[in-house]
Amino acid sequence: MFKKISAYLVGLIFFFPIFFLISSAIKPTRDIFAIPPKILFFSIDLENFQNAFSQIKFFPSIIDSFIIALGSASWTVLIAIYSGYYLSRNNFKFKNLFIISIISARMIPLVSISIPLYFVLSRLNLLDSYIGLILVHSCINLPLAVLLMKSFYDDIPKEIDENAFIDGASKFFILHKLILPLSLGGLSVTFILSFIFSWTEFICAVMLSQMEIKTLPVYASLYKTLPSWDTMSVIISISLLPLFMLLLFIQKYIVRGLTLGSVKE
Amino acid sequence: MANQKSYSLPSIMTSDSSLPWLLPLITMLIVFAIIPFFYNIYLSFHEFVPLKRALIFVGWDNWIKLFTDGVFWGSLKVSLFYTFVCLIIQLVLGMGIALLIDSDDPGFGVIRSVLTLTLVIPPAIAGMIFLIMEDANYGLIPWALKSIGLIGQEDTILADPSLAIWGVMIVDIWQWTPFMVLILVAGLRSLPSEPFESAMIDGAKPFQIFRRLTLPMLHKVIAVAVLIRGIDLWRMVDYVFVLTSGGPGTATYTLSLYSWQRFTFVQWGYGATISLFSLIVILIVGNAFIHFAKVKW
Repeated sequence: MFKKISAYLVGLIFFFPIFFLISSAIKPTRDIFAIPPKILFFSIDLENFQNAFSQIKFFPSIIDSFIIALGSASWTVLIAIYSGYYLSRNNFKFKNLFIISIISARMIPLVSISIPLYFVLSRLNLLDSYIGLILVHSCINLPLAVLLMKSFYDDIPKEIDENAFIDGASKFFILHKLILPLSLGGLSVTFILSFIFSWTEFICAVMLSQMEIKTLPVYASLYKTLPSWDTMSVIISISLLPLFMLLLFIQKYIVRGLTLGSVKE
Repeated sequence: MANQKSYSLPSIMTSDSSLPWLLPLITMLIVFAIIPFFYNIYLSFHEFVPLKRALIFVGWDNWIKLFTDGVFWGSLKVSLFYTFVCLIIQLVLGMGIALLIDSDDPGFGVIRSVLTLTLVIPPAIAGMIFLIMEDANYGLIPWALKSIGLIGQEDTILADPSLAIWGVMIVDIWQWTPFMVLILVAGLRSLPSEPFESAMIDGAKPFQIFRRLTLPMLHKVIAVAVLIRGIDLWRMVDYVFVLTSGGPGTATYTLSLYSWQRFTFVQWGYGATISLFSLIVILIVGNAFIHFAKVKW
């Protein structure tokens, strides 16, 4: 019983900042600035929502985030379907080294690719463009997606491939017609995680696009020096909503996803 | 047969060759990871000269500057402190909570679900939430700390040179301790029960069981968690940017933030040098860790 109570207490502590944010979004402004803080007993006032929705840049930045996350997740998964399958089914000479370099790509501090990419993208005229950010986010998410897809393919028995191969099917045929239908679950988990990590990525989004395109985290961070906590809380709460909804679908696989397929539940 | 063959693709483009499978991935990694890496090296030997509006070759100047720059050493210290202290706190706290909620009771499933919530929040936005909570005048946390007398009435968190880094670290600990918890719970749940039962029968104390059985059996899971968390802690920049922007003064500059800040001040070569330094450190340490902790994928 003691164990259960303390476990719930831990849950509450970690949930509290999220609750605090959402409650700030629906509090009237004077309650946000009340001292002592009004944590549980406050009046509800939806005026903040009106203020937030009247911000001209708010909706465009939702759309920006959406296009970039959708684009980069699709591109990432498309690449990961094939390379993940190859890594799962084939042994080749430098396979270990290859996987190590994929993990090394995951280690790169994002600032140190953003600085050179700033120059590369400006040469290509891709600064401040959807394509530029979609490609950069894809590259950031590729190590995760490839290794995660590999781990899902590893769960499918190899005999399926071998039998089909003996029957004369080509490897592309085997993947497309036999293996992919079996790994749709893993595919969607990979897609959703890539989507989430593109949505949450901040530093590249800030450095490689500023004027035309603002993803939601970038847009929200502009509020850090403004005293309008009421509007900001609404904007932040709304930007979290799609993430929490997507989380519902992948909750079972989140550990596997975050460890790049290495720890299975 | 011969006729048929003349229409077929060259063997390098068929599904038997590795090329069509891996080429897109390799291309992406070359364009967005390897070329930037070499361009970074190039930049670290150049500097932008505003008067000439061009990058000028400066030899080792940026590297010499790096090792004589007090702010760089300060930011290196902050990065190391931040990485190691957060890692230890998250690991210990995570292990404690994992042991607490490792149970078949359905009630604990709810707690695990709640803990996944923090993991999908954009770090910049987690920073904004705590920016409100740590505000010097109206924030909840300073108010609570003042009411229990831990800090004085006039004290602040984020504007205090020695407390500011803790103000940043608390966000990281809040957001990523659940990451440790969930990984460790997954590890705990996958352990076989027989060794534990026989240890209990032999009358081993709970701490002994933890020390001699649980920890060794979890070592692979712990290694993966430490590796991934360590990487992300080292390259963290969102929280400091949102909460303190490196302030007060230069007290909370991390390597990434400092390099970014130099970049925005058009010291492109120097900024690239700092970021290259932090990249090389994590590549060496990370790969050494993978090697010695025998992390496998």
